[in-house]
Amino acid sequence: MGSGTQYVVAAYAVILFALVMYVVLLGLKAARMARETELLARLVEREDPVEDEPGPDGEGLSPEIESAGR
Amino acid sequence: MTELATGGRRLVVTGTATAALLALSAVGIFLVAPEDADQGVIQRIFYYHVAIAITSLVAFGVAAIYGIRYLRTRRPEHDMVSVVAVGLGLFFSILVILTGSIWARASWGTWWVWEDPRLVTFLIVILLYSAYFMLRSSAEGERRARYSSIFAIAAFASVPLSFYSVRVAESFVHPVVFNSTGANMPDTMLVWFVVAQVAMLGLFLTLLQIELLQRRADDALKRLKLRLEGGV
Amino acid sequence: MSARPQDAARVEAPPPLGARDALRPLAALIAKDLRLELRTRQTAVGMALFALITMVLFQFTVASRVDDATPFAGGIIWATLALTAVLAVSRAWAAEREGRVLDGLLVAPVSRGALLTAKACTIFVYMLALEIVVLPLAVVFFVEGASAGDLALAFAAAVLADLGIAALGSLVASLAAFARGRELLVPALFLPALLPVVIAAGGATHAVLGGAREVAEYQGYCLFLGVYAVVFTLVSYATYEYVFDD
Repeated sequence: MGSGTQYVVAAYAVILFALVMYVVLLGLKAARMARETELLARLVEREDPVEDEPGPDGEGLSPEIESAGR
Repeated sequence: MTELATGGRRLVVTGTATAALLALSAVGIFLVAPEDADQGVIQRIFYYHVAIAITSLVAFGVAAIYGIRYLRTRRPEHDMVSVVAVGLGLFFSILVILTGSIWARASWGTWWVWEDPRLVTFLIVILLYSAYFMLRSSAEGERRARYSSIFAIAAFASVPLSFYSVRVAESFVHPVVFNSTGANMPDTMLVWFVVAQVAMLGLFLTLLQIELLQRRADDALKRLKLRLEGGV
Repeated sequence: MSARPQDAARVEAPPPLGARDALRPLAALIAKDLRLELRTRQTAVGMALFALITMVLFQFTVASRVDDATPFAGGIIWATLALTAVLAVSRAWAAEREGRVLDGLLVAPVSRGALLTAKACTIFVYMLALEIVVLPLAVVFFVEGASAGDLALAFAAAVLADLGIAALGSLVASLAAFARGRELLVPALFLPALLPVVIAAGGATHAVLGGAREVAEYQGYCLFLGVYAVVFTLVSYATYEYVFDD
């Protein structure tokens, strides 16, 4: 492999590396989003059995969420 | 919701096409295209180097166009496209510098040459658009979007001026016409330049779509969070 | 077509201005800025001193390495002027900021275009005043064997460059007027976009002060400076109404 070819390969390797690192960064963002979505899902599921906080009419979201959760 | 769904479908199309074109161009560049008489194998760097350079400029152009659109419509989606496009433009610009530097090392023995107007222009471009992000972090909300749009337009206007000033300056100092891609390119080379170019543009579009989808999802997530934390 | 009542029309849109009406607020704004400056002379003196120390800096870092610094003079001059221009741009809205009068200005029946044009004119005047001091001084410091004609040509190129500096500077100043970290933001925004001017003006100045007088080079660079000024004036014109929207 001549020295010229080495440089060409190096150039394309740099491009490949940059692209893969970009994908990794996207993956990190996706991971963070997954984490937050999961937290929110748990938050919503926890509001399901809200016995100790009766709303003014006693209806609130609980019945709908309960039925949706089933 | 349906926007995100169709976005996914569009992404499959552009992504697949891009992947195919990238593979095709790689094969073409290394196995099919003839070797350059003057520069030898090193010239093969140019296929991607030039394609990435042009794509980077397209990205900045898209940012400027969406800057104009934001100023007209004030829709945050337009500002979002603008900022993502600038980010991608910067990403590609850095690649231009890196590949250009490797080429310089291969041709001239040094990691940098001030004589190549493209290399110097992209250095200026990187400085310019890095400032774009400084500007963004200095303002908030609607003003941030507005200022970013204005700067995206002004910055893009300065790019051709930078390129020509560097080239003119160089032509006075070094009268030798510095033409790195060759005056008459045979069609067997040109076709692979075109393939590489389309592949890179496709890459830009794909990455743009991915980032926009992610940002939209992030936005929706934030709105959801606010709703749930704000109380029942 | 039913006629709108006079009052409603006046509330909806300002009455059409003739050319003289448009120029009067502009002149007033410029006069205000310049009068303020004449009273304190803060910015002008600050700029001159900064330019002076910058030239001394260049002497010790660049020019002292050679016997005859003439080939470097054009470049040194414009590096100095570009860096000093940053000061002018940073300070462009200082008076309004410190006096907290910007809201008043914005409410006044002055068009946004007039505000920004006035700032551009102010920057232009500052740069002109600076060059009157810097160019002769730089010739004394760095150039050997320059004629008055050479200096005049250098000055002409500087005036052309100042147009571009003013157009770009006014825009950047407005974007950074109320930003956090303004001292860092202005040079970051201004200098890379100004580079074509620095290259061309430096080239033009070098063409006349750098030894042999190169007329073709000088003209080419001056043409470029003109194009730059036109482009950025157009950009400013296209975007001025969006700068102050609050």
